[in-house]
Amino acid sequence: MDLRNLSVCQAAEDIHNGEYTAHDLIEKTLENGSLLNESLNIFIHQAGVDALEQAKAIDLRIEKGEKLPLAGIPVAVKDDICYGVLPTTFGSGGFSDFYSPYTATAVERLMEAGAIVVGKTNLDNMSLGSSTTSSPKGATINPWDNSRAAGSAGAVAVITGAAMVALESDSGGALRQGASSCGVAGLRPTGGLVSRHGLNLHSSSFGQIGVTALTGKNIDAVIQVIAGYDQYDASTLISKDESILEVEPVAIENLKIGFPQSLIEGLEPEFKAICQETINLFKEQGFEISDISLKMLPEALRAYYVIAQAEASSNHARFDGIRFGSASEADNLEELYLKSRSNILGREGRQRSIYGTYLLNKGNFDLYYRQALKVWNLVRREFGLALTGCELLLMPVVKNLPPLLSEGKDLISSWEEDIFCAPVSLSGLPALSFPAGMIGELPAGLQLVGPPFSEKTLTTVSDIVVRNKQLFPHGKA
Amino acid sequence: MEYEVVIGLEVHVELMTESKLFCPCPNHFVPEPNVHTCPVCLGFPGAFPRLNSEAVQQALTASLALNCDIALSSYFDRKNYFYPDMPKGYQISQYYEPIGSNGHLTIEDDHGSIKKIRIGRVHMEEDAGKLVHAAGGNGSKVDYNRAGVPLVEIVTEPDLRSPGESRRYLEQLKSILQYAGVSDCKMEEGSLRCDANISLRPKGSETFGSKTELKNMNSFKAVEKSLEHEIQRQSDVLKSGEEVISQTLRWEEDKQETIVMRSKLEAHDYRCFTDPELSPLVLTAEAVEKARATLPEMAEARAARFKSGYNLPEYDAGVLTASRCLADYFEACLESYNNPKEVSNWIMGELLARLNAAGLEADQSSFLPEHLAELLQMIDENLISGKIGKEVLEKAFESGQSPRTVVEEEGLLQISDQGELEEIVDKVVAANPDSVEKYRVGTTKVIGFLVGQVMKETKGKANPKLVNELLLKKLKQV
Amino acid sequence: MSDIEKGFEKAVKTAKVDLPGDEHVRLYQQLGIFANWLEPLLAVDTTGIEPIILGHNSVNVLREDFAHKGVMAELQEAAPEFDEGFYLVPPIIE
Repeated sequence: MDLRNLSVCQAAEDIHNGEYTAHDLIEKTLENGSLLNESLNIFIHQAGVDALEQAKAIDLRIEKGEKLPLAGIPVAVKDDICYGVLPTTFGSGGFSDFYSPYTATAVERLMEAGAIVVGKTNLDNMSLGSSTTSSPKGATINPWDNSRAAGSAGAVAVITGAAMVALESDSGGALRQGASSCGVAGLRPTGGLVSRHGLNLHSSSFGQIGVTALTGKNIDAVIQVIAGYDQYDASTLISKDESILEVEPVAIENLKIGFPQSLIEGLEPEFKAICQETINLFKEQGFEISDISLKMLPEALRAYYVIAQAEASSNHARFDGIRFGSASEADNLEELYLKSRSNILGREGRQRSIYGTYLLNKGNFDLYYRQALKVWNLVRREFGLALTGCELLLMPVVKNLPPLLSEGKDLISSWEEDIFCAPVSLSGLPALSFPAGMIGELPAGLQLVGPPFSEKTLTTVSDIVVRNKQLFPHGKA
Repeated sequence: MEYEVVIGLEVHVELMTESKLFCPCPNHFVPEPNVHTCPVCLGFPGAFPRLNSEAVQQALTASLALNCDIALSSYFDRKNYFYPDMPKGYQISQYYEPIGSNGHLTIEDDHGSIKKIRIGRVHMEEDAGKLVHAAGGNGSKVDYNRAGVPLVEIVTEPDLRSPGESRRYLEQLKSILQYAGVSDCKMEEGSLRCDANISLRPKGSETFGSKTELKNMNSFKAVEKSLEHEIQRQSDVLKSGEEVISQTLRWEEDKQETIVMRSKLEAHDYRCFTDPELSPLVLTAEAVEKARATLPEMAEARAARFKSGYNLPEYDAGVLTASRCLADYFEACLESYNNPKEVSNWIMGELLARLNAAGLEADQSSFLPEHLAELLQMIDENLISGKIGKEVLEKAFESGQSPRTVVEEEGLLQISDQGELEEIVDKVVAANPDSVEKYRVGTTKVIGFLVGQVMKETKGKANPKLVNELLLKKLKQV
Repeated sequence: MSDIEKGFEKAVKTAKVDLPGDEHVRLYQQLGIFANWLEPLLAVDTTGIEPIILGHNSVNVLREDFAHKGVMAELQEAAPEFDEGFYLVPPIIE
């Protein structure tokens, strides 16, 4: 049974029809995952008996006639999202044995719909990065090229059949870049659509929980279940009529897609070619491609790193070794803070806390932070302007291949990788990274950005393009 | 050189909501530590704050009661600093846009004139937990029950000019906030806390002198005393030609002196920024006006109502409405015993002194309004005399028993049985022939003495009116 | 000390993190590079532009004032040092 040949809806239907049981599906998935985990380092903790028990319970409910839209669907959850049944590490060396006293809303909603968590996926140290190379557990290996990082372990789980869908966080683009590196689709939803309750947010303004899967249709099935107002997250919009979730996609005929022509001039030829191929494909579909202007990407990227680091320095202040996380040996309180925080935050966390504090210090506050908030306003306007006159935007996701494991990037260079993703985070708009082609043996994606709550349009258009083109890494697992 | 005292007060009051400011943990004191906690108030990652609507309502009410301008949109900001009692490593407060600003209340200055004390800001913030230092320098213990409790911070402009004015400000503030129904303002219990900023400057100068901050006062009296102490200290410093160092001082109640807590040379950089995890509060002008129009009855209005509605003298109305719980006590008593003047007399004459001596507020004693009503009822029914009633009140107040129980247990029921009294009257008359003789020759005053003797015989329990009647009757016969 | 250096040292102290090995030096050097990298941000003309105070659009999100029972044993299990009802911290040296 290859999970990758099944859609979420098909699998749930099969289980309802008795073709196989949720228990069968989960058992197979767990076996697969275990095997793959050896070589690819996907999961920090894998489910076991707990998942099988849950699957049995789902089968019982189906037998009794219940209808569960995600019955038996195996889900991989990034380990910065709380799930009480398995340990949560937050990607930190200071949380080895921590069982969260509560489960994230998005995960709870998935479970209520019948889905089953098969493992917590690897991530960068304290979620700070888009490659997994800073993880205390080591990087997740790219199944297409074992000498490279995967970008996102959830994407690896999905492309190798260790899960059908993955729940992941995306602040500066980790989810989207990971999808691109592994040849899968990854959605960063509209700000306010999906509750972040239970996510260890480093950037409160830009962090979102998104979905990674093989197809837009699979992503859609998950969004239907997890989206919507949550009393535990004040940023989720109160949709009095749940119509936000049933927005019909825009009529696809004659769809107008905006593309920033000037941007691709700076891309490597292979990436340029991917853009061109995709544009041609869109034209074949009868879509109209118009040129749009996105001039502020470099400034937007900088604004992201000012605001996100400032917020991280504050959000990470709670890690003091007193109520959770490991406490280092200390003779006095100051020592407890210094050592415990150093251990829990790790290298990336330490850097962000210091730089974030620096940016908020008197003198720098107006110079950098307030300026960044104003530039944020301008960036939002620019995206809004770009979307007048077209229904969607098409943009690159990455400008380089996934990083080599042996390669060490300096700070600024690694931040520059987010040039196409972080500005979109500032816009608050939904963005779907989809597999657009191959560069040698490696997949490369592009992203579609739409107006607020246009998730269904994004997934529909993406599926049109990807249809029949889905590739899997052969013999690389 | 004559110096002028300049004082500003920063008061924190705990709001009377059911739950904490940002989470549904209970908002009341319990002795057991860490039982009112949850992922939010313990700062667990991914557990976001959820704003309490009633806290907002009460903060709005407090601001309006203090005559503030109300911010139609206000935000919550993070005050970032590390301390074990601050679970998130930041306190959620309102730094940039407090809900209330530009307010005031009025007090009497030291010469009896009415003076306006300006209130710069009224804002909401969450409380910290409690740190208890373990014995023998072995570290500290943290209790997070109080972390996240809703507070309102009220900051005056430096308009106060004496310790006396400061104490009167606190008393007036307490009255207003109690009447507004937002806090019980019990400083001894911690639901009201006060820090003072004080400096001296040459009389007539416009610039402010170096100020010190006083902390750790646990009563209004302590605030007054600590300010007196600090004025003396600063005067001495200035007189000796030295400069006053700006620092934070801790008031030690048992030693009645201050010790240096920390030098306030460099103000803390809290790196305040608006909390991205909360939504802004947006009020309409209509909603604010509605809230203003439906403010709970304040002290002055209540006193006026007592005057006109219950026909009480101005003095009585003033005393009874000095604190909201006393006014509530008075009206609660009226529900079972509807004689306002009588109740007022007993409260002012007997109860108030006892409450003050015991350091209790009207709602803290076990002598309840129903008990006073019961007592007065018993006097009306001639079950006890007024004099005995006072004794009963004292015993009931001390023991916590109801007046009825006290009367029964102590056997204080008034003797009104005619037969029984006649016997005693006969006995007294027979035992005092000189007095009887005096009465016969017209010294009617002697009745008082004879009544006294009967009362003595009956240990005060005889019905005095009846005794009088019977004595007169008897004396006429003799 | 230059302004950046002063600011950096202050930030390190405020952030309360121990920096192992040569991380202190490296972070300081990178901060200089970072400050340069931020120049284009500072160069944007933002006259008359309002800062975005909050990124999301919800307003007046409020919770009813009901109290739950409070305390979950699992919360305390997460604590590194917990004894007789209290969270423990080492001595505070003023």
